[in-house]
Amino acid sequence: MTNHVLLNNIEHKDLKINLERSAQMGDNVWYTQTFPMEFRSAQAHYPILFQKDNGTGQITPVTLFGFENDNNLFLKNGKWDAAYIPLAVQRMPFYIGFQESTVDGVTEKNRVLTLDVESPKVNKTHGADLFLEYGGNSDYLEHIANVLEALHHGLQENSAFIEALTNCELLEAVTLDIELNDGSKNQLMGFYTINEDNLNSLSQYKLAKLHSQGYLQAIYMVIASQVHINDLVARKNTQIAL
Amino acid sequence: MVHMQSEIKKIIIVGGGSAGWLTAGLIAAKHIKNSAANTLTNSVSITVIESPNIPTIGVGEGTWPSMRETLKTIGINEADLFTQCDASFKQASKFVHWENAPGTCDINHSAASAYFHPFSLPSGTTKLDLASYIGEQYSNSSQAQTFAQHVCFQSVLCEQNLAPKQITHKAYDYVANYGYHLNATKFAQLLKDHCLNKLGVEYLSSHITQINNDVEGDIASVTTDSVGIVAGDLFIDCSGAQSLLLAKHYQIPFCSKKSVLFNDSALAVQIPYDDDDAVIASSTVSTAQTAGWIWDIGLQSRRGVGHVYSSQHITDEKAEEELIEYIKSSTSAKQRQSLSIRKLSFEPGYYEKFWHRNCVAVGMSAGFIEPLEASALAMIEQAAKMISEQLPANKQTMKITAKRFNEKFSQHWQQIIEFLKLHYVLSKREDSSYWLANKESSSIPQSLHEMLELWQFQTPSSYDITQSTPLFPAASYQYVLYGMNFKTQPIRTANRDTKAIQRLLLDVQNKRQHLAKAMGSNRELINKIKQFGLSQI
Ligand SMILES: Cc1cc2nc3c(=O)[nH]c(=O)nc-3n(C[C@H](O)[C@H](O)[C@H](O)COP(=O)(O)OP(=O)(O)OC[C@H]3O[C@@H](n4cnc5c(N)ncnc54)[C@H](O)[C@@H]3O)c2cc1C
Repeated sequence: MTNHVLLNNIEHKDLKINLERSAQMGDNVWYTQTFPMEFRSAQAHYPILFQKDNGTGQITPVTLFGFENDNNLFLKNGKWDAAYIPLAVQRMPFYIGFQESTVDGVTEKNRVLTLDVESPKVNKTHGADLFLEYGGNSDYLEHIANVLEALHHGLQENSAFIEALTNCELLEAVTLDIELNDGSKNQLMGFYTINEDNLNSLSQYKLAKLHSQGYLQAIYMVIASQVHINDLVARKNTQIAL
Repeated sequence: MVHMQSEIKKIIIVGGGSAGWLTAGLIAAKHIKNSAANTLTNSVSITVIESPNIPTIGVGEGTWPSMRETLKTIGINEADLFTQCDASFKQASKFVHWENAPGTCDINHSAASAYFHPFSLPSGTTKLDLASYIGEQYSNSSQAQTFAQHVCFQSVLCEQNLAPKQITHKAYDYVANYGYHLNATKFAQLLKDHCLNKLGVEYLSSHITQINNDVEGDIASVTTDSVGIVAGDLFIDCSGAQSLLLAKHYQIPFCSKKSVLFNDSALAVQIPYDDDDAVIASSTVSTAQTAGWIWDIGLQSRRGVGHVYSSQHITDEKAEEELIEYIKSSTSAKQRQSLSIRKLSFEPGYYEKFWHRNCVAVGMSAGFIEPLEASALAMIEQAAKMISEQLPANKQTMKITAKRFNEKFSQHWQQIIEFLKLHYVLSKREDSSYWLANKESSSIPQSLHEMLELWQFQTPSSYDITQSTPLFPAASYQYVLYGMNFKTQPIRTANRDTKAIQRLLLDVQNKRQHLAKAMGSNRELINKIKQFGLSQI
């Protein structure tokens, strides 16, 4: 259950956000959305792949944390076992909502910060304060506001990025064959990755265009990030050995 | 030595209906490079000539799954069909009241007044013949489910008007095999734009007034009323029912099939939905009448409905009454206010040959049989595909290709005619002279007689079909036969793998249950496609 409400410093002045990272806190996700501006930080820790959104069929880049639903291999003793946590996870349980306001007869859509008050992270005793004593935003809340802002702009860029990739036929479906130490063989389907053959045979013109858009670097970071699939396998092996 | 003059370089297509543009698209996609007309690298040029005075027929709104492959080959973006042609998904034909007239349905017997002929084959078709097993069960007891429900998971999508794919499927991919329902006029326009803008096809809007032969008797050119004389090497007649080149110019004799399939008239009407969220049906519904049947095709914004009938058996007035009666049961008075009914007449049959000298007819110009099972566009696709893939290098080899083409398409016509006739022969209706006459032995082709005799003891199989690439596979015959509760009593069943068959049947039921939950409605998916498009990967 979720219940998104507009955040305000009166109703929500006593609320805290539990910063523990665990299944109980709702962090047991196996992938999350990302975007080109985040690739540099993400590729240091996670494989970056592409996936279709079930509701729209739109392709988005995702960072992978595990191989199946409800199995995030980075959750360890209440912490996230990596130096960088993707923004789409960091921002939980906050979201961007839209509110219409009419000023001088002109209706505008404004972005507003909303909170899922049903999230297990929300409580009154543990974790980071949202507001200062006299109603000002806490540093934590400022940070969250920045995260959401970066996420909003970053995700907006995805459709142009994906379009550039599909126009150059750079995406292809991939099936990951995962073999674990216990001998089990698993296939991970429904993901897409960069088609390196097509990338290598792109015309100078198309390469230059991707480069000028800043996408060429993003593409190479996606390719480089694939080594982390092995890290995930190692984490999985550790998990099943326990 | 082959003379340069006899090379086939300039292709003239006469007519800009569905036939003309599908043919132009399929040939251009294969033979014109770099999407640029008239470049030296191209071995052929294609020009479509269309009369501004003669409109296209404007009906023909149900396609087969083969259309997916055709459009993919031509390079059409599938999402464009939904944004530009009012298209929806077609997964089956549904036949209502074909077995028994309304009200006369025997209550002891499997009860259904309707059955489906879905586009997916029965499960396990290549390995096991479910039909023979089911057939045996059928003869032992009355069945709660129809044949298609037993053997084909797609039946559930048809019953509940669910989509054949999800938004995450790439363009032209699916869970269940499908074709389209679409607006014929908008479809021709989409094909035309694509042919002209992307494939380098040339276009002349002008009325052809005369056909000119060379000394040998081949067509050398056509004279038009506004752009002079247009010469060519191969002339493709897509001029519609008047068959300008094949029939009018070359006088190729017509084989009438009216004595087998009586229908020769149609009344067509378009009915807008009264709300934007109206359910879009997954099948073409064909409801039998006293002297014909009514088609009902659901697009996004409207239904296309029409009565196909035999003018020998019913007057136009009575046919219109039946059509109005049908429409009444599914519309509000408001929807019926401004209906404009269009009358079409046709002579059922086809020409003795389709390819004569350097002229080949595709579409209505080659022949037409009533639209039951909607095979006309599929025939156009097959014809255009063969012309494109077997495009003769020169006039010498054209003779051979022409002969093969004629043999192949004569067989196709014969199969279509027999298969359509089967729908009538199996009917138990006796409520009019039309249904009785349809079962008269003299109206039934000999080979259909023979098959019906065989099918009393064995199920339809690929042995019944002579062509290598038939329009209707054995499965189609099974769907119709057992949909109409025909009894096959196999006598040799000793070594049958009953366990495997039962597993397969159970699997169909499981899939039906799963898909009923997993798939969204046609309307939902179409709205998503219009918003997000369909991905190419
Ligand atoms: C009642 C009915 C229902 C049908 N339902 C289906 C169905 O559900 N599914 C299906 O697959 N098929 C169906 N069909 C068949 C389908 O409509 C046709 O096969 C299809 O539309 C192709 O038509 P066409 O292009 O051959 O002819 P038309 O659409 O008639 O086009 C003829 C073209 O030739 C041009 N032309 C004619 N004379 C000249 C001239 N002198 N100079 C220059 N140009 C000229 C015209 O301008 C026009 O562009 C149905 C047909 C009927 C009658």
